[in-house]
Amino acid sequence: MDKLANRLRRDAERINVTVSDELDHRIEASLRAAAPAEQRPQAPRARPPLFWWASTLTGIAAALAVIAIVNFQNQRDEPVPPAVPVAELQPPIVLRMEAAMLTAPLEEELENLQSDLKKAEEKVRRDIGL
Amino acid sequence: MTSELQLIDAAKAGSADAFSDLVRGYRERLLRFLVTRCASVADAEDALQETLINAYRYLDSYDPRWRFSTWLYRIAIRNAGKLHVADVRFVDEADLRDEENDPLLQCIAAAEKENLWVAARRLLNDDVFAAMWLRYAEDMSVNDISRALDRSVSWTKVNLMRGRRALDAELNGAAEQSEAYG
Repeated sequence: MDKLANRLRRDAERINVTVSDELDHRIEASLRAAAPAEQRPQAPRARPPLFWWASTLTGIAAALAVIAIVNFQNQRDEPVPPAVPVAELQPPIVLRMEAAMLTAPLEEELENLQSDLKKAEEKVRRDIGL
Repeated sequence: MTSELQLIDAAKAGSADAFSDLVRGYRERLLRFLVTRCASVADAEDALQETLINAYRYLDSYDPRWRFSTWLYRIAIRNAGKLHVADVRFVDEADLRDEENDPLLQCIAAAEKENLWVAARRLLNDDVFAAMWLRYAEDMSVNDISRALDRSVSWTKVNLMRGRRALDAELNGAAEQSEAYG
């Protein structure tokens, strides 16, 4: 050991302290009054990888079993209602009025165009003397 | 003769007697360390009492891979730190280093006033001082010191070296001075 280390050790030993009887009694009394704190829950130990595989497979198997049981019970307990065509449930849609409303202006326009065309045709015939 | 581990097991089971036997050999060593850290001998005694009570209460958290003394010092350093904060708040800073009130100087014989730990406390900060104490007064390994101080191993190594350098300079400077005056 080097000089400095020796000196530090020696000097530490030269610090005179004593645990007095009074302090000793105080410590003993406080130790008796204190109780160890409640044990903390132990941290779970690391599980081997096989454990995780086994628990995963067990979980999947359990889920499949539950799904199968639920489906089986549904099939057995609940009578399947007869199929009703959806189209029959729908109220019939009246299209006539709406169609008329939509096409009336167009038809009117068409008539106007046809009459214009007829007038133009007559005018051309008059002009060329037919 | 009961081993330390047997005493620890008995104390964990709630035996205050077993715990007293367990820490009997550490009390003076801890008190000596606490005297260097606290503002008065009474504070150091309070810190010792608090350290031992906390150690007993939380003995369940002790990891047997550590040395028991390392664990005790860790608690003592925390307690001393708490007291130190309180002291700085309530006691005039000048009083802390006043020779009459200084617990470390009170515990050193008049002929021993050149105790290097007095210089260490003046030159080093609290953590470096504690590291030096644990290394040279308690002969702890670097790993144990880093655990006790909750510092990295590299921090501990670097600061032990810095502490040594500072104290070497102090020691050599004092020697040169005494040669010059002698």
